[in-house]
Amino acid sequence: MDGGKVMRIIRIEKDDWVTGLGRLSDSVRLCGPVKTGDFHHFKQLPKGVVPDLEYRNTRLSPKSLVYPQSEAMLEYTLDTRQPDHHIHKEIAKDFSPQALLGIRPCDAKAFLLVRRNFDTPQYKDTYWIRRYETTTFVGLACDRPCTTCFCTTAGSGPHGEEGCDVLLVRQEDGFLAKVLTPKGEALMETAKWQTEAESGAPATLESLKKDAEGKIVSHVQTEKLRQKETLELYEAPFWQDVAFSCINCGTCTYLCPTCWCFDIQDEVYGLQGMRMRNWDSCMYPLFTLHGSGHNPRPEKMQRVRQRFMHKLKYYVDRYENGIQCVGCGRCIQHCPVNIDIRKVCDLMNGFEPGACAT
Amino acid sequence: MIEYTAKIREIAERILRDGTVDAVLGFRRGSIPMMNEPCLVKDPAQVQTLVWDSNCGINLANYLIGRKDKIGVVAKGCDSRNIVTHIIENQITREQVYVIGVPCTGMIDKRKVSGSTGGEITEVLEEGTRVKIKGADFETTVDKADVLQDNCAICVHPNPVLHDERVAEPVPVPQDKDRYEDVRKVEALDPQAKWEYFEDLISGCIRCYACRNACPLCYCPTCFVDESKPQWVGKSIDPVDTRTFHLLRAYHCAGRCTDCGACERACPVGIKVRQFTKKLEKDCRELYNWEAGLTLDVRPPLDVYRPEDPGDFIK
Amino acid sequence: MKNLLEHSGIEPGRLHFSWVSSAESTKFVKVVHEVCAAVKALGPARNFVKKMAEVA
Repeated sequence: MDGGKVMRIIRIEKDDWVTGLGRLSDSVRLCGPVKTGDFHHFKQLPKGVVPDLEYRNTRLSPKSLVYPQSEAMLEYTLDTRQPDHHIHKEIAKDFSPQALLGIRPCDAKAFLLVRRNFDTPQYKDTYWIRRYETTTFVGLACDRPCTTCFCTTAGSGPHGEEGCDVLLVRQEDGFLAKVLTPKGEALMETAKWQTEAESGAPATLESLKKDAEGKIVSHVQTEKLRQKETLELYEAPFWQDVAFSCINCGTCTYLCPTCWCFDIQDEVYGLQGMRMRNWDSCMYPLFTLHGSGHNPRPEKMQRVRQRFMHKLKYYVDRYENGIQCVGCGRCIQHCPVNIDIRKVCDLMNGFEPGACAT
Repeated sequence: MIEYTAKIREIAERILRDGTVDAVLGFRRGSIPMMNEPCLVKDPAQVQTLVWDSNCGINLANYLIGRKDKIGVVAKGCDSRNIVTHIIENQITREQVYVIGVPCTGMIDKRKVSGSTGGEITEVLEEGTRVKIKGADFETTVDKADVLQDNCAICVHPNPVLHDERVAEPVPVPQDKDRYEDVRKVEALDPQAKWEYFEDLISGCIRCYACRNACPLCYCPTCFVDESKPQWVGKSIDPVDTRTFHLLRAYHCAGRCTDCGACERACPVGIKVRQFTKKLEKDCRELYNWEAGLTLDVRPPLDVYRPEDPGDFIK
Repeated sequence: MKNLLEHSGIEPGRLHFSWVSSAESTKFVKVVHEVCAAVKALGPARNFVKKMAEVA
């Protein structure tokens, strides 16, 4: 699924785009950005509805299409008259093929980051994996990054290909589409988008990519994170100051495409029961509350520190493949108290124990 | 209002140096346009980080809960009413808090500003009653009155009701503000339409609890939604559970809400959460002649039985 | 409470309040009859009913 060799470059004219979508919608569920109120949401598209690609990015990340916020896992009956009472049963679920159209490269890369957690040799999250495998990711390159985007220093980029099966690059009269994987190839065939682009296309794309990357104004320093001593970072004096304004609201974790924590719960209605999982956030005190009543992270500062240590240190150490962040900027734009991950990352990267406290 | 910054810094430095307070709670400049970050200044040499402008909409009274030290706090009209409520509810003592009162001319709603332009905003400058908005390839100036937060547009208590020191002379109190036009519109609908109006309002809710956490009144050690023995409300995004959360949270704020707007400001998906609390606020005014947090001397009506309390709904 | 619930769309007549002491048994019976009749007249509640969480 990693973007690697480009297989082909296809040119899609505007009208072709719409007709192709119609062909796709016969066999694949289409999802794309839709304007709801003041901002865009990534949603399932009803037949005939074209995704609105005139957008910067969606308010909530598209992770909910592979990893729904509330998801039923198992069901059971407590009715002793039933032969299968008190037995957990798999609940009927819908893993039919879907295509995420117009996802941004940072969000597509985020799925790869999350996959490291949900798809390991030892533990496999079947719900996430099945949805992920039946999803085709059609990325849309950014030509106007926001000032809060820092994807280029967070392992992605405005024309990033990792995580995409196809990458669309906007043109005056349609798109140039880089087909990156066999899954992407299959989608292009179903939509009958088969017109090979002209020979100058690779150069055009390269130049557009350089342009877009040049427009990124936010950068974070991450090169020293790996070598920092974990405990020294943990005990750093700047955490109190960073965490003071946090209201532990959960906005950052819910909007983040790379946050993955959840809570499993049973709900019982009379004699019917269901086990489900819901997104959870390390920002909430309840997150680490033990059954005994003990809470290892009762203080706000500890929870804020945990979030940044996880994203910028523990994940770095564990997977040795960069930070658990793709630079989408949603947390920066929507944190109600303006806690800025760019600032924290630089504080952590530049931290020298023994130097003057900030 | 930006001229208040110098005065706030001067007061903060003085009360830190002479030991009146151990720390000052105010704002420092944010990292993106139209945002400021709440901060705690303990060192008199650091007071230069404090700023004030029309992007200080967060309610600082939220940070006072549970503090045991002596603390100075920069408070506008609504914030000061929440401080009064905290004192009445025994969350802090009057002696603990040194209120630096700010007569407020309203806070800018960054979503209204973003909505009024096409591109990304890189800078917002206040020039008196006008606001200049700059982007990479555009610049426009609007009246601040057109981009105020919803609650600021109808505010009738801009001056701090409680202060130890004020940074400027009180601003004129707006008269003839119709605070409840939107509530009356909903009251006029039939029950099913009312149901659908609210269903629509909270349809985007992701149960992040930003509204609850930003609210200075929501300080329960364990919120009712986080209880599990017994579990009162489900934790999923089921619409009935979501609705229960909003209705109950509003109800817990009945007679205490000062309409500071922190909830709407914090909501990441732009839900107009105040539609729940405004109805209660209107009822408190009409039934009990009560507005939250105006004075330290009277206990709130939901706290006290008076024989003339309305009772015609009781059989 | 009544005002807020009615404002949010619960039909007037679903929620009733009454002061009844354990010594006022006749009044209690009367109130129960009235409430049952009022709610029956409104029919089954359609809104605010949760059978199973509506989740993916």
